[in-house]
Amino acid sequence: MKNVLVLQRRKSKLHRELGTIFAIFAREVTLLFKSPAFIGMSIAMPMVMMGMVGGNLMENMTGGLNFEFGKFMLVGMLVNMLFVTTTQSMTTLVDDNDSNFNEEMLVSPISRYSLAIGKILGGSFGAIFSMLGTLIAGLVLKVTLPLSRWFLILSLSPLMCLSAGAVAMLVIGMIKNKKAANYAVMLITMPQMFLCGAIIPIKSTTGLLKILSRCLPMTYCLDLVRAVVYHDSAEHDSVVMFNPLVNCVAIVVVTLVCLIIGTYFYAESEKNK
Amino acid sequence: MSMVEVKNLIKQYKHTKIRSVDDISFKVEEGEFFAFLGPNGAGKTTTISILSTILSKTSGEVIISGFDVQKEARKVREKIGIIFQKPSLDVHLTAEQNIRFHAALYGMCGYRLSFKLMPKAYRQKVLELAEIVGIADVLFKPIKKLSGGMQRKLEIVRSLIHMPDVLFLDEPTQGLDAVSRRSLWEYINQVRNQFGTTVFLTTHYIDEAENVDKVCVINHGKIAFCQSPEVMKQNFLRQELMVDSVNREQLTSELSDLGLDYTINRLVVVPCQGSVQELILKIKTPLSVLKISEPTLEDAYVEFLKKNGGIE
Repeated sequence: MKNVLVLQRRKSKLHRELGTIFAIFAREVTLLFKSPAFIGMSIAMPMVMMGMVGGNLMENMTGGLNFEFGKFMLVGMLVNMLFVTTTQSMTTLVDDNDSNFNEEMLVSPISRYSLAIGKILGGSFGAIFSMLGTLIAGLVLKVTLPLSRWFLILSLSPLMCLSAGAVAMLVIGMIKNKKAANYAVMLITMPQMFLCGAIIPIKSTTGLLKILSRCLPMTYCLDLVRAVVYHDSAEHDSVVMFNPLVNCVAIVVVTLVCLIIGTYFYAESEKNK
Repeated sequence: MSMVEVKNLIKQYKHTKIRSVDDISFKVEEGEFFAFLGPNGAGKTTTISILSTILSKTSGEVIISGFDVQKEARKVREKIGIIFQKPSLDVHLTAEQNIRFHAALYGMCGYRLSFKLMPKAYRQKVLELAEIVGIADVLFKPIKKLSGGMQRKLEIVRSLIHMPDVLFLDEPTQGLDAVSRRSLWEYINQVRNQFGTTVFLTTHYIDEAENVDKVCVINHGKIAFCQSPEVMKQNFLRQELMVDSVNREQLTSELSDLGLDYTINRLVVVPCQGSVQELILKIKTPLSVLKISEPTLEDAYVEFLKKNGGIE
């Protein structure tokens, strides 16, 4: 014991928070690679979704559209799968609660926002990985995008995942039961898939459905990605709904609001019993 | 300096009518070894959860290492280490990965993707601590492959990696075998001696609290007793003289004549009211057995609970 080393704590608060975010992110990635089933599912699911739903829609219901439905759906499924997988990954908050590991994190001197952001970024890694499944399904259906567009989508994907994670935090952060968390994932992802225009165009939607679609951040994420993909395209006006700036502002505002409220309630639900 | 200062602490959980912690106050001084004892459901874990900032209080004041747990929770968290009643390890990671993650959360060093990439100081410290507590062989194995004792030792190493001022141990040896318990306590005592760490212990194994500086007994959410173990023993139990004679009848008759209470088990047990020496001198019957029984803290604790309604 005489020569036990004493590690020195880092002095910069920002440095420490960034270190914390990275540590939590790295843990999530490590856990991801230790779960072959999750990797398999995250690749298989978009293939099934796009192949079955998209394939049928392409062949039977897209006659009167002014744009190529395959490309429209490919972009929609990419963003949708980012949202689904990130939301799904946020259920690890409940797993940590079950295994008591969340106490280790909650008793440590870190910002609860760092904890939430680290978790979301970790989940994002899996979500971005799942884009591979959509890509494969697209190739099978002979729907492709230029490589430059792929890179643009890839560069926007962390923003999409952050937005998805923030929405998930708002709901899953307060749930302590794995079964309830799984239902919550369904509750968050299914309406978004149909209301936000992932596979069904919503440009002409009116009434309550229009209001609901405008309240969901995935609507703006999808529209932003489509604005990038359809830039300089004749189909642009038929597909894209908003100015990219409007999308960006909406995404940032909704993400911040959801993240702040979700993290607050998560921390409070743990503490105020 | 008081490292833990609790004043009029009250905790009433939502949707309950009874206070789990009912207006308790106590202090733990720097470097003190403090035992917080009580029967199941007395309020021990609730108190430790409030002190470690993971549970909010209903009212009262709690200061840890000079910081208020409510207003300066983050500073409090930097100063404390805790071993929870239930293990809080990530079972999907290796033992070392759990320590690495903890070190990063506490800002001791940045998280790297492998042990080899971690700073030299971290690597040395982990190897050294693992060697001391006897988990060096399993350091790079998944938690799932570690025994309960090994997991507890790992939690000790993890909780000490950031050198806390106050170490909270919430039933740290629950479920451990005797050998693991002993080696764990040897290590905790080493840490106390070397770094002067204040230790706040809750346990059901009362013998573990035999050498503490102060014992606080909580019962039905209230502090029922808060003194040194010696005072507790003196207050609730006496030394006992255990004697026997070839002529036991003569011995018991003499004890009755002297007006001394006694019980007969395997030997004749005489509770000492005053000095043991005086009692021995009073007995004239030739003795074949003479033993003096010192009360343990556990004896005193059980006696205390009997008298205070903690045991039904």
